[in-house]
Amino acid sequence: MAAWDLSVTVEDLGPDTPPVSLSVTSDLHVGGVILKLVEKTQIKRDWSDHALWWEQKQCWLLRTAWSLEKYGIHADARLHFMPQHKPLKLGLPNGITLRLHACYSSPVFQTVMHICRMLNIRHPEELSLLRPIEEKKKKKDKDSTEEIYDLTEVPLSSASRPCLYNGMPAHFADSPQMEAVYKMLSVTQPPPAPEVIAKQYRPASVVDKAHINGRWLDSSRCLMQQGIQENDRLWLRFKYFTFYDIEPKYDVVRLTQLYEQARWAILLEDIDCTEEEMMLFGALQYHISKVSQSEPQMLSSSAAMDDLESALQSLEVKMEGESSSASEMLENMTAPELNDYLKIFRPKRLTLKGYKQYWFKFQDTSISYFKSKEESIGEPIQQINLKGCEVAPDVNMAAQKFLIRLLIPAPEGMNEVYLRCENEQQYAQWMAGCRLASKGKSLADNSYQSEIQSIHSFLAMQKTNSSSHGNAPANDESINTHSLVSPRYHKKYKAKQLTPRILDAYQNVAQLSLTDAVMRFIQVWQALPDFGLSYIVVRFKGSRKDEVLGIAPNRLIRIDLGVGDVVKTWRYNNMKQWNVNWDIRQMAIEFEGNVNIAFSCVTADCKIVHEFIGGYIFMSTRSREKSDVLNEELFHKLTGGHEAL
Amino acid sequence: MEDIDAMFSDLLGEMDLLTQSLGQETVPPEALPPTNQEVNYSIGFTDLNESLHELEDNDLDALMADLVADLNATEEKLAAEIKGLKTPSPTTSDLPPPPKGLSLHPPSPHPLPASPASSTSSSVSTPASSAASSLPPPPPQNAKPTKEEIEAQMKADKIKLALEKLKEAKVKKLVVKVLMNDGSSKTLMVDERQNVREVLDNLFEKTHCDCNVDWSLCETNPELQLDRTFEDHENLVEPLSAWMRDSENQVLFQERGEKYEVFKNPQNFYLWKKDKRALKDIKDKDKEILIQENFCGTSIIVPDLEGVLHLKEDGKKSWKQRLFQLRASGIYYVPKGKTKSSRDLVCFLQFDNVNVYYGKDFKTKYKAPTDFCFVLKHPQIQKESQYIKYLCCDDARTMNLWVTGIRIAKYGVSLYENYKTAEKKAAVNSVWMNRSTPSSSNPSTPSPTIKAKTPNQANGHAPKPQPTAPDSMDFGNFPPPPSADILPPPPPDPAFPPPPPSLPAKSSSRPVAPQHKLPANFPPPPMAMDNLPPPPLPPPIDDSPEAPPDFLPPPPPAAGFGSLPPPPLSMNSLPPPPHFGGMDQSLPPPPPDPEFLPPPPPEPVFTGAGAPPPPPPPPPPPPAQAAAVPRAPVRPSGSVRKVPPAPPKRTTPSLQVGGGGGGGDFMSELMVAMQKKRGDH
Repeated sequence: MAAWDLSVTVEDLGPDTPPVSLSVTSDLHVGGVILKLVEKTQIKRDWSDHALWWEQKQCWLLRTAWSLEKYGIHADARLHFMPQHKPLKLGLPNGITLRLHACYSSPVFQTVMHICRMLNIRHPEELSLLRPIEEKKKKKDKDSTEEIYDLTEVPLSSASRPCLYNGMPAHFADSPQMEAVYKMLSVTQPPPAPEVIAKQYRPASVVDKAHINGRWLDSSRCLMQQGIQENDRLWLRFKYFTFYDIEPKYDVVRLTQLYEQARWAILLEDIDCTEEEMMLFGALQYHISKVSQSEPQMLSSSAAMDDLESALQSLEVKMEGESSSASEMLENMTAPELNDYLKIFRPKRLTLKGYKQYWFKFQDTSISYFKSKEESIGEPIQQINLKGCEVAPDVNMAAQKFLIRLLIPAPEGMNEVYLRCENEQQYAQWMAGCRLASKGKSLADNSYQSEIQSIHSFLAMQKTNSSSHGNAPANDESINTHSLVSPRYHKKYKAKQLTPRILDAYQNVAQLSLTDAVMRFIQVWQALPDFGLSYIVVRFKGSRKDEVLGIAPNRLIRIDLGVGDVVKTWRYNNMKQWNVNWDIRQMAIEFEGNVNIAFSCVTADCKIVHEFIGGYIFMSTRSREKSDVLNEELFHKLTGGHEAL
Repeated sequence: MEDIDAMFSDLLGEMDLLTQSLGQETVPPEALPPTNQEVNYSIGFTDLNESLHELEDNDLDALMADLVADLNATEEKLAAEIKGLKTPSPTTSDLPPPPKGLSLHPPSPHPLPASPASSTSSSVSTPASSAASSLPPPPPQNAKPTKEEIEAQMKADKIKLALEKLKEAKVKKLVVKVLMNDGSSKTLMVDERQNVREVLDNLFEKTHCDCNVDWSLCETNPELQLDRTFEDHENLVEPLSAWMRDSENQVLFQERGEKYEVFKNPQNFYLWKKDKRALKDIKDKDKEILIQENFCGTSIIVPDLEGVLHLKEDGKKSWKQRLFQLRASGIYYVPKGKTKSSRDLVCFLQFDNVNVYYGKDFKTKYKAPTDFCFVLKHPQIQKESQYIKYLCCDDARTMNLWVTGIRIAKYGVSLYENYKTAEKKAAVNSVWMNRSTPSSSNPSTPSPTIKAKTPNQANGHAPKPQPTAPDSMDFGNFPPPPSADILPPPPPDPAFPPPPPSLPAKSSSRPVAPQHKLPANFPPPPMAMDNLPPPPLPPPIDDSPEAPPDFLPPPPPAAGFGSLPPPPLSMNSLPPPPHFGGMDQSLPPPPPDPEFLPPPPPEPVFTGAGAPPPPPPPPPPPPAQAAAVPRAPVRPSGSVRKVPPAPPKRTTPSLQVGGGGGGGDFMSELMVAMQKKRGDH
């Protein structure tokens, strides 16, 4: 067989080095080529991760047993010899960039699996990679200052190392730097400065939202094939909004990143919500950031001990609980109470008296008041049970106004009562009492002190907001409430006005643990009507105008751009089959009852749409018994299109 | 000795208290002395008296049984909880804890001062004694270990008791009259901790209905023309406490198809926009998928309802149309001239503090456009108020969509859990029904059940671990171990914390219940003594205690224990307590003290009697009051009759409640089923 020259560029020799020329025959297999090449370079090193990339055909020559002939390689082929794993800059949902080695030769689906394993995110099938939105290069290029966490030191073989008890991959325990990376991954970020939120790109319409979905990479092809180069930047995001089997114990990173993605979706109005919902999201963010700062991290360097420790702790608590039940009961008998002079006002009553001072006593869940302290032994003028009432603050620090507005239910309706406190301290105590009482808890409840604390910290927030304008928050106690809501509300409300509204929502979540608060945030997000919709602009067959196809975990919806309304819904479980005509780039879907639809995709490749639908169908096939093993083959079957088949 | 006497008197006093409280809550069976009611236990219900008066004897008996069982169960539970504590604190003696605990004023105040001698005799008189009778109260006397020990123990026990009492006292109970479908009514006692599901189960047993998932408890408010079904996880007492004194509100027991319709036909709610024809043909598989999607995920999905509803304007008679939207976070409307986009929506209300009600006949009452109205209001609002929101829909379907949607938003996953529980209940029942149908004759008649039970008892008893467990436990805890030799049985009972597991109750309602009940009543005793001194009613208790030691040293310790074996014999033969002897014979029927609480005692007795006999087959005679005591033989017949029917049924429910039937749901249901079946035969 005739020998001919094959030129191969060896990347490791540097970009300026001319290609290495090898004399080969067509029946030489790829492995042999590599062997020859390595011998020729005279470099001794581990070449095991290297492979040949065929530039013209945009494919890897990974089957080393195949001959050049079989691959169809001739003398004109430009081959590159390079590592399959290369550094990639990965933008995480929390906005932080991570540098790590990703596989450029396997399908993106697998690459994501590897990345997720490295980061300790379970269920990688729910995530994928997308090309970031180009940031408008502004005068000052901030990239230089951006902090990049580096994970490139992690050996590729690390996946085989056993995880620690809490599921933390062992490589994160290797060095303080690695621990810092893990902390970044697993701890929620502090609220962003309002300017940062305002500066980010915000989709203004459904069509805008549709554009982002044109950026998803193809899961069945590799990074190289999709033009991703070494050190390029990609985003890692949750793509399929069906979060399977969330287990806070093992899903610390997953939950944290999910929360971050949800938080940004809310802040950037990627998903719409009402004002009330926004306030709740704000309150949850505030609470989460506060708790994650104060609470000892769920995973610190001693993470391995956590399990045991927490188990011991809970045991202790249990035992304590058992042995002290009687003394507790005794304690309960002498329930704490509050006694003080306060001023009361009943707006509904037609009196002109205004605020009147009485001696107040807060006991259990009710307030009673007397003419004076001396008469407090006798019958109160009135006793008000606060259980089930609504409590609202009316505070103005500057004016030293500390008002508690109570809306107290009675058979005849709700009675309005205002209590006026003299100072911050008094207000915090009585307000906390009212809050608890409205939920049927007494002052003896162990959340009383923390309730007082949170009221104080909110008051502090108002103080700093009113005094220091726009200055960066001095201490962590005072968060600018504009950091917690979308820019729309920056315009609508001053931070000072926002504070009481968020505080209002905050009372219902103030007692949640960190994990519960994160879960609650995600749940409320999931309960939004538009949750889980990925939009694509399409043109339906026979229609002359663009419309929007919304792809949800369980259905497709058709949105009329003119009306902005959902015109039609099709559920996957009524779907009989779907086809892609790759030549004319058209999707055709058949539903039960002889319903057929067909459309071409405008803002995204039809492969992306195809993959979305197939992906969701794949997600629905996951079941508990098989949850450990990811059926990759099925995924590709459902999403791959003709290349995969 | 004085100490012991004091203790004993304490015990009796406590019993007294207990029985009194029982009397108050319920209503003494036959001869209802008004006094009881006056004692006013905090009952949120005004028409309690009426409803009680309306009750038939049977009902009262049953109710009484409920009460007793209930109390006992809770007390035992408490005792069990507190067992751990054995701190002998000096304070105890002074502690008038029980008084506080019980809302009763009279008895509590009196400490233990009562003279020892008198105490013993007096103790007998307490009405409570009847209940206690079965118990071997005597422990004190027998026990002659070191005084210090005893003292310490007793003090510790007193503390425990005091604490128990306190806790128990905080538990609010209501006597509730429930209107049945057929216009009749049933009365039952519900305590604060019971949820609607438990009450429903209770009613299932009393009514022999088919237990399907549609059975609901509904609250009506005639003044506002509203009604709503309680959710199964709600506590019943709380909403009822919001009723006003003169309220005409009622609780109904009905089948309400709409209660769980969303789980039977989720497509009608989650796919309501689709055409109805398609929805009709939906496959079961698809229904299941819908439920999975919306109720089994990380977050509960609320149906996306949107539509024009009529809203009654505040304080006016006019109704205004608005475009409303339901979201998980509340109801919103689209303000005039705005788009439907989320950010423009105005919050109409959120669900934290309101319940949703169906409005009845609002067309006439409020000039509503249609009669398909629903209302949102704070549960405590009982009269017309600007804080009530009235909404009107075009048709019944829309109304049900909204009301159900609001319930899903408000209650979330609880709703689905309720449904699953209800479904399970229905399934178990239907299995049973199918089996029993062939043989079934007249299941409802009480008498058959009773007979059936006797045999059961044997069965039921054997398996129960309770007897053994408690015994051993008791001893351990019990300070005065000495007694054990002589009278092992008695002491344990009082101390008895171990609440009878749910199983026993169900299987053989009587057998178990009795033992436990008695003990339960017993422990608290400290107070009553003083009050009672004069009336020397020698309820069996006293006799037995005294007598046994002398004459019958080793009463049948092991199995029968407290309940029957030992006492009867000794009693009869026992001449020592002159009063008693005489009393017994003459007293049987009116045993209790006239002065104090004549009425209450009889009932407790009966119930107790009914229950205790189980273990010993020969129960018939003893059952009545004396079960444990001498009397049993004498008076049996009369009392027995009454007793049997009521106790069985009652006990079951109450026990479940008390026991906090976490454990053997299935078992208990089985037992119930078996009972019924036997009854049928």
